[in-house]
Amino acid sequence: MNIRKELLPVIVIARVATRRAFRDKFALFFNIVFPLIFLALFGTLFGNNVRWQIRVALINQSKTQVATKYTSSVNNFKLFRMVPGVKDLEDARDKMTTGEVDATIVLPDSFGKIGSDGKTSGTANVYYTENGAQAARALKAVLVSQFEGLNATISQSNGTPYKVIGIPPEDNGTARFDYTFAGLVGFSIIVLGIFGPVTYFPDLKKNGVLRRLHTTPLRVWQLFVPSVVSYAIIGLVSVTIQYLAAVVFFGLKVQGNILQLALFILYGIISILGIGLALGGWARNQQQSAPLGNIIVFPIIFMSGTFFPRFYMPDYLQASSSYLPLTPIIDGIRLITTESKSLTDLGPQLMIMTFWTILVYILAFKYFRWE
Amino acid sequence: MLMAKYSIEVKNLVKEYGDNRVVDDISFSVKEGEIFGILGPNGVGKTTTLEMIETMLPIDGGTALVLGIDVSKKPRDVKFLIGVQTQHPAFMEKVTLIEQIEQMASAYGIRPDAQALLSDVGLVSKADEFVEDLSGGQKQRFSVAVALAHNPKVLFMDEPTTGLDPQARHNMWEMIAKIKKRGVTVVLTTHYMEEAEVLCDRVAIMDQGKIVAIDTPDNLIKSLLSSGFKKRQIVEKANLEDVVLMLTGRYLRD
Repeated sequence: MNIRKELLPVIVIARVATRRAFRDKFALFFNIVFPLIFLALFGTLFGNNVRWQIRVALINQSKTQVATKYTSSVNNFKLFRMVPGVKDLEDARDKMTTGEVDATIVLPDSFGKIGSDGKTSGTANVYYTENGAQAARALKAVLVSQFEGLNATISQSNGTPYKVIGIPPEDNGTARFDYTFAGLVGFSIIVLGIFGPVTYFPDLKKNGVLRRLHTTPLRVWQLFVPSVVSYAIIGLVSVTIQYLAAVVFFGLKVQGNILQLALFILYGIISILGIGLALGGWARNQQQSAPLGNIIVFPIIFMSGTFFPRFYMPDYLQASSSYLPLTPIIDGIRLITTESKSLTDLGPQLMIMTFWTILVYILAFKYFRWE
Repeated sequence: MLMAKYSIEVKNLVKEYGDNRVVDDISFSVKEGEIFGILGPNGVGKTTTLEMIETMLPIDGGTALVLGIDVSKKPRDVKFLIGVQTQHPAFMEKVTLIEQIEQMASAYGIRPDAQALLSDVGLVSKADEFVEDLSGGQKQRFSVAVALAHNPKVLFMDEPTTGLDPQARHNMWEMIAKIKKRGVTVVLTTHYMEEAEVLCDRVAIMDQGKIVAIDTPDNLIKSLLSSGFKKRQIVEKANLEDVVLMLTGRYLRD
C-alpha cells in the first residue's frame, strides 16, 4: 500500500474529528469556556494584588551602626513579613518577579554614615515591580514613620536626614498575573489532553465504534495521529483565546516570540495528550478511565504550579515536582511569555518533555485496546 | 493457479473461553456469490464464528480462509476484502452520514462516492444529518451502505433485521438480494426463519458450538418431512405479518 493511501485515513479522520469536536458543545465548554472562567477568577484575584501581609526583603549594603541596628529590628515589623535569605538586588528582583517578595528595602553603602555636618543621614530605597506598587506604597509609608522617629532621636535637628525613595521598575516588569497565567494555560492543556481522550475513547468503545473501526484495516497510529491533530487544533484555539483575553482584560505582556511560543505549546499539548491516549486507549470503559485520570491529573495540577506557584512548596517537593510532565510545560510557557526566552534556552524543559512524550506514547501504543 | 471456488473455507474451527468451547470444531464452506445463513438459538456460537472469520476474534483452533487467504496469518489482507455489518450499528455521534462513509472508506485508502452509496439505501436526503437522528431501520440501511463503501467481495451481516418493523425488514431483504446480484458473497446470522428461507441459498444450523445441519432450506425441510415430521397446527396460507403488510402497505416509513 502506498503512502498516500496510508495517510488518507489520517487526513479524513482528523478533519472529521475536528469538525465533530467543534459541534460538541459540552467539549467546547470544557476546553474553551472552562479555562476562561479560571482565567477570570485568577486574573481578578491577582490583578488587584490583594494580600494580607506584605512580604518584604531587606538588603543592607551599609556597614554603619545605624544600618545594622535597623536591620536587626525589622523582624519586629507587624505589618510585614520579612523574607529571609535574599542575597542581593538581583535575587530580590527575581523573587519580586515570581511574587515571592512584594517589595525590597535597600540600605545603600552610605546609609547611616556621618556627613560633613557631623550628623548621620541616609536614604532607604524601596524597590518594587508593577505588581508590588501598592505594597511598596504601604511599605514607604511605614518606613517614613519609622524614620521620623530615627530623625528625632539621632539627628536632633528639624531636617530629615533619613529619607525613603521609591524606585519603580525599570523594565516592563512581570506582574503576578503574568506568572500565574502560564499555570492557567498549563491547566487548560491538561484538562484537554487527559480528560478529553479519557472520556472520548472509552465512549467509542462503549458504543462499539472502535470495534467497528477494527473490522477495517485501520492501524492504531492511523487512529492516534488524527486524534492528536484534532485535539491540538482545539487546544491551540483555546490557548489563543486565553492569551487574547489575558492581554485585553488583564494586561498580560507577551515578551517572547509568538511563533516559538505556539510551537512550544503545541509540543506541550502533544506530550500531555499521550497520557490521555494511553489511559483512554487502555481503559475498557469510563469506570476504569475516569478514576485513573483523576488520580493522575489532580496531583499534577497541584504539584506542577498550575494555580499556585511551586516556590510555595517545601524544597523536596519543588525538586521532585520539576520532573512531572506538566511542570516543564508551564515553566517553558512562562519563560517564553514573560522572560523573552527562546526555544534554545529551554533545553532542560524540552528534555523532560521529550522523556515523557516518548514514554507515554510507547505505553499508549502498547496497551491500546479496540474494545 | 485455481480460482477460489469458495469465498470462505472453514476447517475444524475452535473458540474456547476457559473450559467452555463456544465454537466446537466446525467446518463449512461458502460458495462465491451465494447467501449463506447461520441459524440457531442465542448463545450457540453464531456471532463468535462470524467474528473469527472477520478477524475480530483470535482463532483458537482450525483454520478459516477468506478468498484463499488465511485469516490467522494475514488478517489485514482479509480486512481489505470483507465488509462487516455489526449487530448494533455503531457510529460516532455528531458526524454526518457523508463524513461517516468517507471516514470508514478512508481506512481502506479509498475516496468513495458517498452520495451514490446513500442513494442505494435511500438515504440521500439524510446525507448531512447525524446518525443519532436516524430511525432504527435507517441506521441498519446506513450500516449496509458503510459496509459496502470499499466494494468488498464478502459481506458479513450479524442479525441485519433484528428490531426492524416488517416494512424495514422486507426492504432489507430486497437490499441483500441486490447485493447478491452484484456478485458479493453474503454471510448472515438470523433468528428469523422466514428470512433465511427467503434469502439464503444455503444455511448452517448451529447448536452448542457445533453445526448440526447444513444444506439448502428446501432440502432441510424435505429431509425433515421425509423423516415423518408433521406440524401440529395446520399451516395457514397467510400469517399475521402478511396481514400487517396488507393493511399498512410495504413502503418504508422512514
